[in-house]
Amino acid sequence: MNTASSTNQLTTLLDNQALTRLERLRLQPNRRKTNRTQGEHASGKGGSSTEFADYRNYVPGDDVRFVDWNIFARLNRPYMKLYQYEEVMHVAILVDASNSMKFENKFERARQLAAAMGVTALMGVERVSAYVVGASGEPPRVMPPSSGRASMRRLFDFFERAECGGDAPIDGAVEAMLRRHRGRGMAIVISDFLTPASLARPFNLLYSAGLEIFALQVLGPTEIDPELTGDLRLVDSENGTTVDVSSIDELHGIYHEHREQLQEHVRRQSRTRNGRFLSISSEAPLDWVLFDLLQRQGWLK
Amino acid sequence: MSWTGFLSPSWAWLFLLIIPLVIVYFLKLKRPRFEIPSLVLWHSVINDQRVNSPFQRFRKHLLLWLQLAILLSLILAAMQPFLRGGPGSGNNLPILVDCSASMSAIDTRGGPTRMERAKERITELIDAALPGRICLIAVGAGARQLTEFTNNKRILAEALDTLTVRDVPGNLVDGLRMAQALARRETIGTVTLVSDGNFPDLQETADGQKIARVDVELPFKLQFEQLETDAVNMGITAFNARRQSAAGAANRLTPWDVFVRINGSPNDVTSGEVLLEQDGQEVGRQPIALEAGQSKRLVYSLQTSGVSRLTARIVSDGFDGLSSDNTAYLELPVSRSLLVWCDTDLQSYRHALQVFPDVTVYPNDDASGQPDVYDLAITETTKKANPNLEASVRLVIGAIPEDLAQLVTTRSGNSPVVDWNRSSLLLQHVNLDSIEIADEPVRGDDVLDQNFREAGYEILATGRSGPLVLARHAPGRQAFYLLFHTDRSTLPYRVGFPVLIKNAIDITRHAAGLAEVRGQPTRVLAPRLLDRNTTYTVAAPDSSTQTFRTGPDGLLSGVPAPRVGIYRISEDGSEVARVGAGVLDAGESSLASADLIEPRDEELRVSASTTQIDTDRPLWPTLAWIAFIVLLVEWWYFQRKTIRVSG
Repeated sequence: MNTASSTNQLTTLLDNQALTRLERLRLQPNRRKTNRTQGEHASGKGGSSTEFADYRNYVPGDDVRFVDWNIFARLNRPYMKLYQYEEVMHVAILVDASNSMKFENKFERARQLAAAMGVTALMGVERVSAYVVGASGEPPRVMPPSSGRASMRRLFDFFERAECGGDAPIDGAVEAMLRRHRGRGMAIVISDFLTPASLARPFNLLYSAGLEIFALQVLGPTEIDPELTGDLRLVDSENGTTVDVSSIDELHGIYHEHREQLQEHVRRQSRTRNGRFLSISSEAPLDWVLFDLLQRQGWLK
Repeated sequence: MSWTGFLSPSWAWLFLLIIPLVIVYFLKLKRPRFEIPSLVLWHSVINDQRVNSPFQRFRKHLLLWLQLAILLSLILAAMQPFLRGGPGSGNNLPILVDCSASMSAIDTRGGPTRMERAKERITELIDAALPGRICLIAVGAGARQLTEFTNNKRILAEALDTLTVRDVPGNLVDGLRMAQALARRETIGTVTLVSDGNFPDLQETADGQKIARVDVELPFKLQFEQLETDAVNMGITAFNARRQSAAGAANRLTPWDVFVRINGSPNDVTSGEVLLEQDGQEVGRQPIALEAGQSKRLVYSLQTSGVSRLTARIVSDGFDGLSSDNTAYLELPVSRSLLVWCDTDLQSYRHALQVFPDVTVYPNDDASGQPDVYDLAITETTKKANPNLEASVRLVIGAIPEDLAQLVTTRSGNSPVVDWNRSSLLLQHVNLDSIEIADEPVRGDDVLDQNFREAGYEILATGRSGPLVLARHAPGRQAFYLLFHTDRSTLPYRVGFPVLIKNAIDITRHAAGLAEVRGQPTRVLAPRLLDRNTTYTVAAPDSSTQTFRTGPDGLLSGVPAPRVGIYRISEDGSEVARVGAGVLDAGESSLASADLIEPRDEELRVSASTTQIDTDRPLWPTLAWIAFIVLLVEWWYFQRKTIRVSG
């Protein structure tokens, strides 16, 4: 993928054909959490767009320019014409770059998905910011809010240069992101969500910050179906702690149960905050994920 | 009794090694390290209650359990467990080993002898019974204790090595009695008998089983380990000769009828030839074919001019299991007149003796002198009263033996004969009815017939008040006592008197071997009259020699003859006599086997066991193999590729 120039690819993360298809897709938030900045998202009544929304009684102090004089002529009472607002939505993309994402192409797939989401957001005239959080205690790498097609190159550069490594848990990464992020919209969190802490607090923080949560879990094949046997000393890639497991092949059933419980936990935490959750394998084909799975799940349209 | 036991239970302290094994296992358990993205899921898996259930904890340390299995197997092997069989270990175990003639039989051509198989079996029994104490007893014609009770395997093995078959019939009763005697001073629960089951006087029941009845009470459990037998055999069971004519002189040829009895196997047809050799020259050869269980007597006629040695041999057409009974020996004596001493006062006797042509009566007028030893002495005095008068058979008239002086006395009076033993050799065909006897032997008060028997006398005729005729049998000597004087009775005037003399002559002729000669069976050589107080050396067929000394009576007796062959008796290196001994036992030659041994108490019947499962079976080899196999499994489990590395 580092041979973009030789193959005339715009980026090493996505091929041009996929980019072309992505440009026609838009993110589909459940709720429109927009900002006062004028944008393309209709945010309710009382806006200044040309789209009529409703009438209401005139109260002193209202701008007389919006009085519907035709109604006034017939009813001899002033009514205010209301127009919809079209505001901009802020899309924050958070990519987990801790050590756990190093395995089995997880970080690579996370970067690709983040870039794809960023492209669809930019093409939807949203303000896109990106955060890559690796080590705890260190400031995250940040791509400032950007919008427009012109920012696409910037987006690609940001994710292409992103590196993986560190021990930051996803809850700490969310907090680090929110310390820098401003604006309502949606937060696309791409991680493996393998954290011992509850996700209630970071998701609450996201929700209270006016961000709709799009949680995308990327797991490696070994994490989905560990084909381990015998007695092993498992070493945590992030903190180096170990666990001795005997006859590990006999624990596969229990492992699957706990993995599904974790996924259900993330899904529940997302949905209770009107968010979405999706878990994919790092080995799943990217085209299938972007143009089939995410569309079927209603993430993209 | 438990079905299992341990020979070395003291090694149980090794079980303490389990503690350091478990400690070392958990301290030094080496697991392959495998880096994974996060332990979050595995932490929750391990903290799952199901994983931490006791059963799961048990299962997840398979390597530890394999190591424990190896250790336990090795410790148990060191404790030498065994499945308890018949004899039982840790006790006193007498093992009776049959070493009679039939034990030298082979059951398959070129195969081992029964004794060799018995030794193998006994070795197994010894191995199984150790560390219990074992006593080996050889049972031949008698019982011999080969070892004391010992758990020294070397002593037992040496005793077993030196054990050889003796060509004699087995005497199971003697063996059991010896075990019975041992049971009085040692605690004995079981006695094991290893034998082919060929015992004397087997009786067949209606259902075809052969029973050996032994008149012994068994204070222990008898385990009969019977060797499997399947031998075909033909053997000489009797070898006799009878002189055809009573008359004869030393310088004339004496005709003899020689009889050879051949017995075949009880279950097989046998055939062959019987050869008769006289002084090394073949004088007869007869073919013989025997149906199963059949016996035949072959008759040969020959003449001798002096002492002649006969040898009968069987040449079998096919397989013959027992070779020792294929040869028998017989020595035909030189023909001569009987030498009879008859007191001159006993005119009636001297008169009666005149009618026998081959009898020389002394004292006579012959100036050539008198012999030192007579065949028959008819005298009025006892041996003690006339010690210089030596005779094989003595007929004492009107005198009471000195050793019976306290039991019987003689007084004057009429003493009719109440009863007499009509089957005795001396009184057969002698009618003692209505004989008047002027002397009346009277037994003492409280004297019973048993007192005479205890003194070694047999009562042949009884009067009203006491015994009239007594007989005493000793090796090489016979004596008959008429406690009344015949001259003071009507006996010399009766027909029975010459018959009595004739019977005495016949007894004498048989005792001198002049009328009939029987083959010498093994066991003990027949007493032989030789020089007095002289030392003789007897060389056995296996070249072993023994020294014996004759007593004042000149009798050489008690010479053991355990093997078939020629025994040479020599004095100072010069051979004085030669005796051939053969098995001559129908029971041994039949090779029949008892199915049951029935002691005096019939409820304690012992059936033969030919199976090998009754011995204690050591389990340590099995445990050692289990340990080895588990070790291989553990090694494979430890070394196998456990992981699929990724990341």
